[in-house]
Amino acid sequence: MQSKTPRRPGELVFNLFVIAASLFLFYSAYGIAGFDALSSAGAIPMMTTALMALCGVLILRENLRKSPNTAEKIERDILPIPVIVTIIAITAYALLLKPLGFIPTSFLFLLGLMKLFSGRSWVFSVAAAAGSVALIYVIFRLIFTVLMPQGVVPESEILAAIGHLFGGAK
Amino acid sequence: MMDVINNFLIPFLDLKLLSLVALGTFAGIYIGAIPGLSVTMAVSILISFTFSWDVLPAISLMIGIYMGGVYGGSRTAILLNIPGAPSAIATALDGFPMAQRGEAGEAIGITTVMSFFGGLVGIIVLAAAAPSVSAFAIRFQPRDYMLLAVLGILLVGSLSGDSLVKGVFAGAMGLMIGSIGLDPLTMDQRFTFGSTAMMGGISFIAVMIGMFGVSEALIQLHSMKTPGVKQVINRIVPSFGTIRKYLPLSLQSSAIGVIIGALPGTGGDIAALMAYDHAKRVTKNPEVPFGKGAREGLVAPETANNAAVGGAFIPMMTLGIPGDSVTAIMIGALFIHGLHPGPMLMVEQPHMFWFIVGCLTLANVFMLIFGLTGIKIFVKVVEMPRTVLIPLILLLSIVGAYAVNNSLTDVYWMLGFGVLGYFMRLYGYSLGPVILGVILSRLLDDNWRRAIISDQESLPRLMHGIVTSPLSLTLFLAVIFIFVSKTPLWAMIKRGRA
Amino acid sequence: MIRKLLGATLALGLTTLPALAEYPEKEIQGIIQWGAGGSTDTVMRAVTPHAEKALGGTIVMQNVTGGVGAIALNQVANGDADGYQILFGAENPLLYKVMALGDKDYSDFTPINILARGIPILVARPDAPFNTYPEMIAYINAHPKDVKFGSTGPGGLPSVVTAMINQKTPIDVTFVPYDGDGPALTALQGGAIDVMPAVLGAAVEGIKGGTMKTIALFDTEASSALPDAPTIVSTNPEFGDLLPWGPFFGVFVKKGTPDDIVAKLTAAYAEGAKAEDFLALMDGRGFKMMNISGDEAQAFLAKWQSTTAWLVQDAGLTKASPADFGIPKP
Repeated sequence: MQSKTPRRPGELVFNLFVIAASLFLFYSAYGIAGFDALSSAGAIPMMTTALMALCGVLILRENLRKSPNTAEKIERDILPIPVIVTIIAITAYALLLKPLGFIPTSFLFLLGLMKLFSGRSWVFSVAAAAGSVALIYVIFRLIFTVLMPQGVVPESEILAAIGHLFGGAK
Repeated sequence: MMDVINNFLIPFLDLKLLSLVALGTFAGIYIGAIPGLSVTMAVSILISFTFSWDVLPAISLMIGIYMGGVYGGSRTAILLNIPGAPSAIATALDGFPMAQRGEAGEAIGITTVMSFFGGLVGIIVLAAAAPSVSAFAIRFQPRDYMLLAVLGILLVGSLSGDSLVKGVFAGAMGLMIGSIGLDPLTMDQRFTFGSTAMMGGISFIAVMIGMFGVSEALIQLHSMKTPGVKQVINRIVPSFGTIRKYLPLSLQSSAIGVIIGALPGTGGDIAALMAYDHAKRVTKNPEVPFGKGAREGLVAPETANNAAVGGAFIPMMTLGIPGDSVTAIMIGALFIHGLHPGPMLMVEQPHMFWFIVGCLTLANVFMLIFGLTGIKIFVKVVEMPRTVLIPLILLLSIVGAYAVNNSLTDVYWMLGFGVLGYFMRLYGYSLGPVILGVILSRLLDDNWRRAIISDQESLPRLMHGIVTSPLSLTLFLAVIFIFVSKTPLWAMIKRGRA
Repeated sequence: MIRKLLGATLALGLTTLPALAEYPEKEIQGIIQWGAGGSTDTVMRAVTPHAEKALGGTIVMQNVTGGVGAIALNQVANGDADGYQILFGAENPLLYKVMALGDKDYSDFTPINILARGIPILVARPDAPFNTYPEMIAYINAHPKDVKFGSTGPGGLPSVVTAMINQKTPIDVTFVPYDGDGPALTALQGGAIDVMPAVLGAAVEGIKGGTMKTIALFDTEASSALPDAPTIVSTNPEFGDLLPWGPFFGVFVKKGTPDDIVAKLTAAYAEGAKAEDFLALMDGRGFKMMNISGDEAQAFLAKWQSTTAWLVQDAGLTKASPADFGIPKP
C-alpha cells in the first residue's frame, strides 16, 4: 500500500513509541504464563501484542518511504496551545476533584476553558459555566445518584437538611 | 387467544402504564444520548426506586428506558461524533459526516424510522418464534462463539479507513486492552503490573469516552473559530420511497440484530457493527461512499441494534437466561417482585410474556414519536459555538467516565486514551477497530480457551468438531469467505476469471 | 424525585450549614461488590429498602465491580470509618490472601449482618448418562477425561465443591472455565458442559423447567425450594464432615466505625432481613436465611475462612498457604 501523503511532523516518534510499547506489552504478556498451553491466560494476549508489534514495524517501513511534510509545523498542526492547555486542564481537574469537590472544580474548569477559548465577557462565561454545572449536577447527582466527591461544599448535609424541611423524616 | 390480546393490550389501555412507558422511553433517549449514562445503570437504579411498586408499572418503566436508550445513543453519534453508547459506534461513521454537511435532521429522521422498524421486527420475532429462536441460540458451543468473534474481528477490514495495517494495529490494541485485568477464568493477572486498581481491567466505557469524546474534542480545538454547521431541517421524516429503497437492507440487518441479540453474551453493539459491515458488502453503488455519509451506513446499524432488544428478551422470557446486561437486571427485578423467570415462566405466567411484548411495542411507538419531534432543538447543539460546546463535552466526558465505577482511575484512563486517540487520529489510524477489539476481546479469548480445553488441548480434535457440526461449519466457511474476499487473494481470483 | 429536585435548587442558594443531626445525617453510600443483576446485587437491593425504613436514612447503592470484588473492598477499606460507606459483599474476600488478590479481607471490617447462605448443588444436563452421584462417579471412572465439568476459576464455589469431591471421591474430568455460574449453566443447557457445581438459587428454575437435572444437593438437609433433590450425605455420608458449607452474603462497615453507628446499622438490617417479601424472595431462590451479627457473625466468618482456605490449599489451587496469614487449620 504505497500512499503519496507526506509524513506528518512527529509521526516517526509516535511510530517508534508504538513499537516500543508493543514490545514491552509482548514481554509482559509472555510473563503471564509463558508458552504454557494453548489454553493459557497468556495465549491470546501474546498473539495480540505480537501482532501489534508486527504492524508497528510494517507502518514504520511505510513511514520511512514517505517524505517529511515541510508545510506543517508541530506547534501549529500537531500540538497547538489550546490542545496542551486542555490536556493540562483535565489533569488538574482529576487532581483537584477529591480535595476541592465536584461543584467548585467543575465550575473552575468550565469557566477557565470557556473564558480562554471564547474570549467573551466574564459575565457570559460565569453564567454559562454555572448553568452547565447546575444542569450536570441535577442529572448525575440527583437523578442518577452518582456520588461525586463532595470536597469543601457540604452538599449531602445540605440536601439532607432540605429533605427534612420538605418531607420530614422519611 | 383472547387472553393473549388482552394481556398484550394492558399497557395500551391503562393510562398509568401508558404514561410510564412514555416517560421511560423519553428518559431513555436522553440517557442513551449522554456518554457515561447507560441503560444498564439506569435500570439498576430503577430496581431500588420501583421496589415498592407493583411489578407491572416497574417493568413498563424499565422497558421504556431500554428501548429509548438503545436508540438515544445515535443522537450524539450523529451530532457530535461521540457515540452515547457502544451500540451507536457504527452510527457515527456515516451519521457525523452527514451532520457536517448540514443534513443532521435527515440523518436523525432515517435513524429514527429505521430504529422503529428494527425494533418492530425484533418484537415480532419475539412474539412469534421465541421458543425456537432460543432453542437455536442455546446450541451455540464455545467454538461457535469463538468463530463468531473471529467473524467480528474481520470487520476491522471495513472500519480501517485508508490504511489496513494501521487498522489491524488498532484492532489488536483493542483486543489487548480488553484482556487487561484479572482473568476471570484462571485468576491470573494480565498487564496489571501488580496494581490492585488494574485488577478490574480498564472500563470499556472510559476507553470509549476517551477515544471518541475527548480525542474528538481535542481535534475540534484545531478549528475552534469556525462556526458550527448550519443545519437544514426541512425534511425529517424520510419519504416512503426512501424507506422502500432500504427495505431489503433493513430486513437483513434486523435478522442480524435479532440473532446476535438472542445469543447470550453478545448484544446490540456487536450486532450494529456486523450489520454495518454487511451493508458495506451488499451495497454495490452507494450514492455517497461509506464513511462519508452513506445512508446505508445509518440504516444497517440502527435497525440491527433496536432489533437486538427484542432478541435479548427471547432467552430471558423462554429460559430465564439473560440476552444482555439489561435483561440480566430485569431478571433480578422479576425475582424481587416475586416472579420466577426461568423455563416455567412462559408456562406458569404466559400473561407476563404478552404484557412485556405489549410494553415493547408501545415503547417502540413512543420512540418513533419522541424521536421525530424535537429534532429542531436537538440539532441546535451542533450550531452552538464550539468555544462553549467543547469545554462542556469535556466536562460531560469526565463526569461520565467517573460515573461508570465512581472511580478517578477511570478519569485518568479516559484522559490517557483521549490523548492516545488524538495522536492516532492525527496520524491516520482509525479508532473504530480499537473499540471493536475491546468489545470482542473477552468473547474471543474466553471461548477460544473453552473450546480448546473442551477438546483436551488438541487442535485436530477442535477442527474435527468444527467440520462435523453444521452450525460451526457454516460459521467457519463465513470466516474463510470474508477473509478471502477482503484480502488481495480475492482480487487475484477475480482477475484470473475475467 | 420532585422533592429532591426542589431541594437541589434551594441547596445552591443556601449558605449556612444546618445543625448537626444524629446518624445518619446524610446519604449513606452502599458499595455492592458484584455487578448489576447478579445474586449479591439482587439480594442487597431487595433487603436495603427495608433496612432504610428501619434506619430512617437513605442508602445509595452502587456496583463497584472487578478483581473478584477486591476493588470494592479496597475502596471501602480505604475510606473513612464513619458509617457512611457500607460494603455489600459475598464470601470471596476471605480467600483474597491465599489467592494473592490483596492484603485485605473481612478482618479489616465489622460485620453488620450475615444475611444468608447459598446451598451448593451439583446439576447435569438432562440427557447426561447418569442420574445420581454414585452413578456419576462410576461413569467418570469408566470414561476418564470425557465428562466436562464447568468451573469459575480457583476460589469460586465450583472450585471448592470440586475440591470437596476430589478429597472424598477423586475424579478425572475436564474442567471448562466460565466467568460465573450463570453463563456456565447456560452452557450446560446447550450441552457444552455436562456437569456444573452451582448455587441452588441459580439452578432452581432450570431444574423445575427440566432444562437440567439434580445430581446431588451439597448440604446435610433437604431444601424447601427443591424438596425432592437428594442430599449428598444420603448417598455418600463421608461428605458430612465438610458440610454445611456455602457462599454467603453480608453487610460490612470498616473496622473502627463508632459502636453506636454499628449498633444502629445492625438493628436496621436485622429488622430489614425479617421483612416478609424479602424472606419469600430468599426462600424462592433457595438461600438459607442466617441473619446473624456481632460475635456470632465473627465466629462464622473465622470458621468459614479456615475450612475453605485449607480445602483449596489441599487441592493445590492457592498461591500462598493459609498458614502464612495465621489462618488456623480446621
